[in-house]
Amino acid sequence: MKVVVSWLRDFVDLTVSPQELGDTLTMRGFELSSIEPVKPMDAGRSTMDDAVLDFEVMANRPDALSVIGFAREAGTAYSLPVKPLVPKPLLQTPTRDVTVTLEAPDLCPRYGAAVADVTVGPSPPWLAARLQAAGVRPINNVVDVTNYVLLELGQPMHAFDLEKLAGREIRIRRASPGERIRTLDGTDRALDPGMLVIADAERAQAIAGVMGGGHSEVTGATKTIVLESAFFNPKSIRLTSKKLGMKTEASARFERGADVNAAVKALERAVNLLEDIGAGKARGGAIDEYPAPVAQRKIDLRRARMQSILGLAIGDADVERILKGLGFHIRRHDAGWEVAVPTYRVDVLREVDLIEEVARHHGYDRLPSTFPALTGPTPPSDPRIARDQLVRRVVLAAGLSEALSFTFIDAAMAAHFADAASIVPIGNPLSAQFSVLRPSLLPGLLAAVAHNRHRERSDVRLFEVGAIATRAGESRRIGLVWVGDATPSHWSGGRRSVDFFELKGVVERIGEALQTALTFNGDGFPGYLVRGRAAAVMAGARPAGSVGMLSPAAVSAAGLAANEDVYVAELDLDAMSTEHAQPLTVTPLPRYPSIARDISIVVDGILPAETVRGTIASAAPGTLVSVREFDRYQGTGVPDGRVSLSLRLTFRSSERTLTDTEVDAAMRDILSALKAAHDAIQR
Amino acid sequence: MTDDIARLRTDFRQELARASSEVDLQALRDKYLGRKNGAVTALMKSVASAPVELKPMLGKLANELKQELEAELAEKKTLVDASKAPVGAVDITLPGRTPPIGHRHPLTIVREQIESIFTRMGYQVLEGPEVEDEYHNFEALNMPAEHPARDMQDTLYLDGEMPGLGRPATLLRTHTSPMQIRYMESHQPPVRIIVPGKVYRRDDLDLTHTPMFQQVEGLVVGERITMADLKGTLTAFARELFEPDTKVQIRPSFFPYTEPSAEVFIGCVFCHGAGCPICKRTGWLEIGGSGMVHPSVFESVGYDPERYTGFAFGMGIERIAILKYGVDDIRLFYENDLRFLEQFPL
Repeated sequence: MKVVVSWLRDFVDLTVSPQELGDTLTMRGFELSSIEPVKPMDAGRSTMDDAVLDFEVMANRPDALSVIGFAREAGTAYSLPVKPLVPKPLLQTPTRDVTVTLEAPDLCPRYGAAVADVTVGPSPPWLAARLQAAGVRPINNVVDVTNYVLLELGQPMHAFDLEKLAGREIRIRRASPGERIRTLDGTDRALDPGMLVIADAERAQAIAGVMGGGHSEVTGATKTIVLESAFFNPKSIRLTSKKLGMKTEASARFERGADVNAAVKALERAVNLLEDIGAGKARGGAIDEYPAPVAQRKIDLRRARMQSILGLAIGDADVERILKGLGFHIRRHDAGWEVAVPTYRVDVLREVDLIEEVARHHGYDRLPSTFPALTGPTPPSDPRIARDQLVRRVVLAAGLSEALSFTFIDAAMAAHFADAASIVPIGNPLSAQFSVLRPSLLPGLLAAVAHNRHRERSDVRLFEVGAIATRAGESRRIGLVWVGDATPSHWSGGRRSVDFFELKGVVERIGEALQTALTFNGDGFPGYLVRGRAAAVMAGARPAGSVGMLSPAAVSAAGLAANEDVYVAELDLDAMSTEHAQPLTVTPLPRYPSIARDISIVVDGILPAETVRGTIASAAPGTLVSVREFDRYQGTGVPDGRVSLSLRLTFRSSERTLTDTEVDAAMRDILSALKAAHDAIQR
Repeated sequence: MTDDIARLRTDFRQELARASSEVDLQALRDKYLGRKNGAVTALMKSVASAPVELKPMLGKLANELKQELEAELAEKKTLVDASKAPVGAVDITLPGRTPPIGHRHPLTIVREQIESIFTRMGYQVLEGPEVEDEYHNFEALNMPAEHPARDMQDTLYLDGEMPGLGRPATLLRTHTSPMQIRYMESHQPPVRIIVPGKVYRRDDLDLTHTPMFQQVEGLVVGERITMADLKGTLTAFARELFEPDTKVQIRPSFFPYTEPSAEVFIGCVFCHGAGCPICKRTGWLEIGGSGMVHPSVFESVGYDPERYTGFAFGMGIERIAILKYGVDDIRLFYENDLRFLEQFPL
């Protein structure tokens, strides 16, 4: 809202500078967004320093979309009286030059109209200058007067050319099915029966409260006008303006709530102005269709309640000064005040709204700073927070950096990671780039890999913890991606590219952190991973995610070279949660030495290491405490299709020192079991 | 003869302890291990003349003694050497073999800082669903359908429904406030929670907007919670997060779910009030919104607004990170450019 300071001074004798006024009102809830100087208008009206202050007006304050509204705020802020605007009344007898029929009082509780003979021409310079300063383009004296009243009182008005109204009548009705109107902006618009129109005997002449029609527009040839000043149902205006995609000065005010009692006053003010500037003269009095007058709202304001909300006792004198200044009528009683709310304060509905008014003008800066007392122990936080923090820590320590990407992604990319039926599209997406909810964290991570690859980074290790969403619901996951080298490059050499085991290791570490035993299956992994380099991850019987090499199709869709080795993993953190983790009891440290034995066996190349470990475990005595693969070799000396597997077996007893003899015996049993089960030959 | 061996060992060790130079060590070596006059050498020769049945045992002992002495001399030599001429020196200016480590996202750093400050103030940290229903996101927060305030938060809707918490989800939450409702629906006062999380608005991507961003919401409800408590809490928070002398100002504002409502400002962390482009020469930076919980919000969750009062606040985590780290483009937070991420502390 652009407020011209000299205009404001018509109502309040402000002596402060525009800048100071702006700063003061900023602290009262109207943030000053800019301050512009204005040229002095005409000698009679502006002598002091003038300026245009542009304020933000909150959605709940339509009354402040007016000079008079700002006058009340400024007057209260500086304890200055606000000069009331008392227009010269029109004749008592309503005009008979137009008939008004209010057919939809639910959408239009009040409709006022006046008729005036006019001489259309330019406005006087002072009026044009004020409008211009306030950001409104002067058009002609009649339209300018309606705009002037809109800005001054906040009451939107409209002027029709009486001669263009068929039957010289105004009907306030719902649009007929299929009805159309060409609005003032020259656009032909389709109306629907939910919309309210101002019509004559034949057709819609205006979309009520939004915009007038071109047919009855005031032109240079107009001789007589009908001035409209009404109160429309805010919800109806909002729906109409939204449906038509039209936001106007009028609709902005009506949809927030105009002042039902301003309708006639605005008519009077407009006719007075027309007469003052010699642009016209009223024909008869105002028509005022107001079938169900709105009762004034009365609210009780309790002194004690105010103090209990604010944490500050405000003196009665200050409370009364503030409320009166803002136009409330008050009657004091023992516990506080009975407050009558003026109809322009559509936002003041209950006691707490009055408390805000008092606090606002008393000054938030005068509130003390206190600290709320704790009255009991704080219950624990959401366990996911500590869990996610732990997982992040573990993965960061594995060398992956944390990424954050958008929850919505491109539909084409999502299709690589989930069934079409499970993907949830956004109903009103901003763009195709953000058109569906992500069914996986991987697309976002891959986009991040591509971004970094295009910026000279060959090694990219990233992870993200976040929500994914499908038709099945929302769940929390961690996604990991690793491309390039396995370890940071170093002058001492030892370079190697990432492989399956890098990410499997990180996944195992996450399982360890969450105290969840994970198993890896060579089947049942998602289709975007490559068979033989991928595994489904299980937490007990629950599917917990997958790890592996990304398929060339998915790699290429992510904007990377299809032959690039991209390793990814994604885990469902909720499926891996530690709710059943057993409390930890420390195992006593071994008191007797262990004996380690290395064996190298040649077995089938496709025999899983896990099976070998199983055979060893089943043939070994209870003193076998660990089995660890330390080499795997294929090549010279090993027949095709076979592999040489080297394992270190560690034996230890918690009761005594083992002897070489008994370990030798155990090793013989193990080797013969391996031979029997897998045709394993010792090298 | 075994006594001789024990004595030799004791003598040798005493002398070795006194030796402090290579000359000393050479003398010691000559005395005990010298080919001509060495005491151990002599001892070994005398084994030859021992009785046959004792020969293997004595031979073994003498040999062990010789090896021990050699080893101890060598070790001592290293100690004497170390202070003089290094052997196998490395170029210590070459880069070390740093174990790989990742960097936390700056928004996580800020979020964890905020969580830790409020945790110490006795708050529970909670999280809520990101897909929500109309009731929890709007209606229960005093924003009925067609309320103009809904324009303040342009919403992204789902095409169809998803399973939600209680009711089917139809939209992406526009703020973390629905969690206020969810918590109060299932808990009685006192309430002292913060809710960090992602929120969504139908905003185009530009220097200052992203369609997804992170907020942290706070809610305190009890029998004697005042707006002064809100001010004190926000001041304590800002002073810990920014600087101990950070100024905090609250200004009247409008939110449908709080009354009175206030915007929260801190004294500009860049110019300290002198006036700079970041604070638009006002000396103040907005960091969030706040206010006293609207009685109609209490009514919607079945709290008695006459008995309980409370305050709520919400802040943008990106906004705070921008101010803390001087980030000039909010999109950097979501591009995941390692050159950006790696600037933040471990």
